[in-house]
Amino acid sequence: MVQRNTSSVGRRTFLKLTGGAGLAATAGCLGLGGDGDGGPIVFGQPASVTGDWDFLQPGVSQATDVALDHINEAGGPLGRELQVERRDTTVDPQEARTVTQQLIENDDAVAILGLFSSEINPLWDFIQEQETPVVTPWPGSSFLDTRGGDMGTPDDVSDDEWVWRTVIGDTVHTSGAAFRALDQGHDTLGIINGTAEGARSWVEGFRTAYEANGGTVATQIEVNLGESSYQSALERLFNEDFSAFAVSMPLESATTLMSDWADGGYGRQPILSDPLAQNDLAEQVGSDLNGAWAASPGQAGPSFDSFVETYEEGGDAELNGWTPPAWDAMNVTALAVHRAGEATPEAVQRNLGPVSRGPGTEVTTFEEGMNALDDGDEINYQGAATPTTFTDFGNVLGPVVVSEAQDGEFSELEVIPAEDLTDFVPEGEY
Amino acid sequence: MGLAQNIVFGLVTGSYIAIAAIGFTLIYGIVDMINFAYGEYLTIGAFVGFLAAGLLPLPAAVLVAMVGGGVVSLALAWLFFTPINETGPVPMLLTSIGLGLVLRNVIRIFAGGSARYYDTTTETFRTQGIPEVPVGSFDLVGDVYVTSEHLVVVGCAVAVFLVIHGLLTRTDVGIAMRAMGDSEDLARVRGIDTQFIRNSVWILAGVLAGLAGVLVGIQTNVNVTTGYAHILQILAAAILGGAGSPYGAIAGAYVIGIVVALSTAFLPSHMTGLSSAMAFVVLVAVLLVKPSGIAGAEVREA
Repeated sequence: MVQRNTSSVGRRTFLKLTGGAGLAATAGCLGLGGDGDGGPIVFGQPASVTGDWDFLQPGVSQATDVALDHINEAGGPLGRELQVERRDTTVDPQEARTVTQQLIENDDAVAILGLFSSEINPLWDFIQEQETPVVTPWPGSSFLDTRGGDMGTPDDVSDDEWVWRTVIGDTVHTSGAAFRALDQGHDTLGIINGTAEGARSWVEGFRTAYEANGGTVATQIEVNLGESSYQSALERLFNEDFSAFAVSMPLESATTLMSDWADGGYGRQPILSDPLAQNDLAEQVGSDLNGAWAASPGQAGPSFDSFVETYEEGGDAELNGWTPPAWDAMNVTALAVHRAGEATPEAVQRNLGPVSRGPGTEVTTFEEGMNALDDGDEINYQGAATPTTFTDFGNVLGPVVVSEAQDGEFSELEVIPAEDLTDFVPEGEY
Repeated sequence: MGLAQNIVFGLVTGSYIAIAAIGFTLIYGIVDMINFAYGEYLTIGAFVGFLAAGLLPLPAAVLVAMVGGGVVSLALAWLFFTPINETGPVPMLLTSIGLGLVLRNVIRIFAGGSARYYDTTTETFRTQGIPEVPVGSFDLVGDVYVTSEHLVVVGCAVAVFLVIHGLLTRTDVGIAMRAMGDSEDLARVRGIDTQFIRNSVWILAGVLAGLAGVLVGIQTNVNVTTGYAHILQILAAAILGGAGSPYGAIAGAYVIGIVVALSTAFLPSHMTGLSSAMAFVVLVAVLLVKPSGIAGAEVREA
């Protein structure tokens, strides 16, 4: 009896110990340790390493990496090492869904620092279900104009929509493009665009602003991406009477299209969507593209100059319109972690508003912000792309830069201040 | 908007597709498989041509791409398809799908995702004084323009057609290919070295893919999806023409090229993005009426 009893207790003890050890080991593997106590803090970065928009990723990766180095050199948020896990989505919504889930569940990311319009829009409900803040430098879509952010109530996450963007929305810079087109006397336009979500979104914003302010669109032609020739589409477009035409599609397809345009000698004024203000396009199309212009999100935030200095130390990737917003996304999110005092998705979500729009000490780097927070001050992060003052919908406002192609490269022509576009972007709707 | 001009565009597009579709359909007719990795053969040809163009004049680079395409095609056949020759078309089809995926990603690893551009210049030639014959908002005739790229593409296609015709009708290898296309068993009984003919077909298909890859690369750019982006049009041209028939593939390619161009020109403006799909509408319509395709070879045997 005693023996049986002893034996029984021993087996139970063994099973309990084994089960407990197994559970602990599993929890460790699955990352159930919560925000931990001194281990690295992880931000996830869905990226366009390959695919139609891969030409924009090197600049964004370099900005992210130099920001990461500076944050860690300053001691890191909460005195812990910050890590960025970067995974390729090819800007495919299905792949983006898988990658986002992997970053949150496998890598324990407390914030997601990426995702394009083409990914966010179809995955909107999925993103809300994750309850992890997405602070992204990419999306211009007007879909986000009245979605996202904390609705101005940072302590109450029940009404939050978890998406923040550090780049100004298409509504702002497409309004800038429409503003300039009308200002130059182009009362009637043609439009040609690709079928990608981002390309359509740009056209939607541009066309809405252009027509609302008196412009007329003679015709709009939509084409597939990756075609070997766009000559038939151009022939059709230029059959209409207009003085300028707007082009919105990814770079490779746009290069084919604009080369066909140059070969066909169709002329008239090209207005390009902002991703096309790339020297590669100007170089490939050549002098026929001289005078073509694009209105892009401004790169003139309060800390832009110091950002550029730091950025150039990190490599030689071409700086594009999404590069400074990537730097801002890293800094503002790291500061949100530091202010929160804990590294959990909800804590980051609660603190993104307060570190960006508050009345506190203005800071331009993570180190400045960390020191101010440690001194008990509130902070207001002043970014490189814009002042990074998040609206209630998690959007930012800023100036629009007009770049013009001349002899194989784009150069800045003029800056349209954000105040000039207030008629196009009503308060409370952005 | 001129009908004649759009037909010019359609003929140019059809020429790219036709060159590749001949190679694709020869593999189908003689090796008895649908090779979904064929798009990657174009990509490899485009990359080989691009690298060669950095060292050699463009015409020489094109020849290097064609030779490179032939060598790669034969090597891939020896590694992946010849060992499973006897398993039938379905396992070979599945193998080709897998091979295409692997090749695409291997190219992506080594070449990256960015596009490369051939350094070429284009001249444009225009007709003048051709009277317009308007029908509504369209012109049936009117002035047209062609570019030097158009002329090169169409010229290459015509040269390929003549060489292929000569090969299939005037050489022992070509006649043996046609015999194998009709019946491999009978060809073997007649003393034809069928494995040699298969190898010849792989080389020929690779050479054509190399040429088509360079031409597409010159018109657009060279990237990891240069060939993959066109595989459905190539497949459609081959089936529309009558799978296995090189002459049918040529006809099918031009039908598809012209349908795509005219769809872009004449569909309602909000539907122009569907122009590529219209090629497949035509394919389905033709197969419903004539299941064997334009040239009469039976598709459903596959």
